Amino acid sequence: MIKLIYIPVFLVFIPIVFSMIIFMIRSRFVTLLAFVAQLAITILAIMYFSEFRFNYMDTMFTFGGWNPEVGIGFLNDEISMAFVFLTVFIWWMVLIYTFFFNQQHRNFLFFIMFLEGVFLGLIQTNDLFNLFVFIELITVLVTILVAYEKAGNSIRAALYYLLINSTGTLLFLLGIILIYYTFGNINISIIKGMMSDPALSDNITVRLAFVFIFTSISVKSALFPVFTWLPRAHAVAKSGISALLSGLVVKGGLYVMIRVTLMFSPAGYDISSILLIVGLSTALVGVIFAMSQQDIKQILAYHTISQIGIIVVGLSFIYGKGFTGGTLHIVNHALFKILLFMSAGVIARIYGTKKVKNIRGVFKTMPLVSILMIVGMLSITGAPLFNGFISKSLIKYDLEGVSYWLLQLVNIGTATSFVKLSQIFFGPKVELTKKPYIKEVLPMTVLALACIAFGVLYKPLVELFLNVDISTVKNISLAYVIEYIIFLGIGYLIYTFFIKKFHHIVDRIRNVLISFETANILFLTYLCILIVFVVLLP
Amino acid sequence: MNPILTFVVVLVGFYGLSTSKNIIKSIFSLTIVESGIILLFLNFGSINRGSVPIVSELFEKVVDPLPQALMITTIVIGSTVTALALMLSIKLFHQYGSLEWKYILRRKDSD
Repeated sequence: MIKLIYIPVFLVFIPIVFSMIIFMIRSRFVTLLAFVAQLAITILAIMYFSEFRFNYMDTMFTFGGWNPEVGIGFLNDEISMAFVFLTVFIWWMVLIYTFFFNQQHRNFLFFIMFLEGVFLGLIQTNDLFNLFVFIELITVLVTILVAYEKAGNSIRAALYYLLINSTGTLLFLLGIILIYYTFGNINISIIKGMMSDPALSDNITVRLAFVFIFTSISVKSALFPVFTWLPRAHAVAKSGISALLSGLVVKGGLYVMIRVTLMFSPAGYDISSILLIVGLSTALVGVIFAMSQQDIKQILAYHTISQIGIIVVGLSFIYGKGFTGGTLHIVNHALFKILLFMSAGVIARIYGTKKVKNIRGVFKTMPLVSILMIVGMLSITGAPLFNGFISKSLIKYDLEGVSYWLLQLVNIGTATSFVKLSQIFFGPKVELTKKPYIKEVLPMTVLALACIAFGVLYKPLVELFLNVDISTVKNISLAYVIEYIIFLGIGYLIYTFFIKKFHHIVDRIRNVLISFETANILFLTYLCILIVFVVLLP
Repeated sequence: MNPILTFVVVLVGFYGLSTSKNIIKSIFSLTIVESGIILLFLNFGSINRGSVPIVSELFEKVVDPLPQALMITTIVIGSTVTALALMLSIKLFHQYGSLEWKYILRRKDSD
């Protein structure tokens, strides 16, 4: 019998070992081993959760029994366990969705399973340098997955992704150096304990370290000035991979942001206004670009950026309801964005095109896929009774004044671009030779049910995983429904009277090209602004 | 080595990243930034000017071994990233016949 405290190690190594077995043995049936690995880690995660649910402090351990000051350790808490379950669940869905492709391409399955192990490691580690290693490994693996088709556009997107993210991650290393120089230690919980000592934490070195780490995470999670890699990489990858990247791997950056913000929180830097500004501008810019796109996967990729902005707005209230809302929105966004990308992938495969204007009559041709996609759309636009609504109302809870109305503007923009996307449903039935596979529809159905479950049964689910009581939030009332219908109406008006009429403005926004050196200049500008506001001004 | 000098190496790398229009030059600049950061960390680790961290009677004062262990890992990761980036740029050159960022990013997809 294994000791339950070592389960995190198994969660990391079972997918990696199985991926290597899949890579080495040349047989079609060996791909089924991926599901065996999934089953094993699901059972282990549930055992671990039921054992340590109420005393997460006992989950800390160090490899090889070293002193925590020098060894590498793992630690779990409420948020990380929620992420572990989300990761395992999403990988189930993606593995079923890409089943046929994986049978012919075992190398592809190797990279997907390896990525799962690395991602679970990122979530559970308690060591800053380990965090850096996992982030860099994720970058390399995602690059390979994006470039897998070997077409020109996927290779250029992969290279752009790899270079910008590596640049960002090197700043993370610079931050680690400064922290090690001050505290003599890179264990996250020990540093968090030492942060409350103002003699150590309130000097210029630690503030600089915070800025470096925060900037590098901003690149990783695609915040406003440094988001340019995301739409490229996520729109050209295969549909299953786009779903995985947009739904979960970007959230790796946000998870590290939560971890780091909590680590620096005893030092008492005032960063909530910076997070609020960055989040709102990310949300607005993402939604403006999304409204101008014509490619179905580009629209969804730009919406990922705007939803990340909304999440960051929520995370800016570290001690309020917004923080819970932000964390919950990460989960909800993963569910509905993966659902949307999967249905977009099915539609693009069957129609043979990704342009919105060439796709018509989806509802009559594929009713089930359309209904599932509409569930995803209702969730992302924040309809009452769906999961996006719950987390968005939690995020709106603490907002006031201008920022509240800016967030409402983002919601209107989201409604507009989904009114535009919903044009694909109308029109007469189209005779097509291809049909959706049952293995593609099955995970989409499960995800749609999960979206509705998080919209209706949100109280027990949030209490189970995050241990927070959110019973003050209501999921349905007449005012909410009227507000939602007004948003849809404004969205429809903007679509018919602005986006359809003013082609040249929309085209100009769509054709904005940010080259690699410009992206780096933006990155350095962002870094300088943060240095001025966090290090020099206080 | 002076920490200011290593920081200058980092800045030179960032200058290269934000001005070079060629993919190979961008990859070189990334490597320069990384070398600068590695030198900086090793510098902070050996601030007491001790000798190599080997347990022996010959050395009285040794440097902190942790930065060296961490930096070996960083060098391995850096070489992986560089190799992958160079491989991708060769593929890109075969597809587009150019290594200029602007030209490659502006090309429309045929799909």
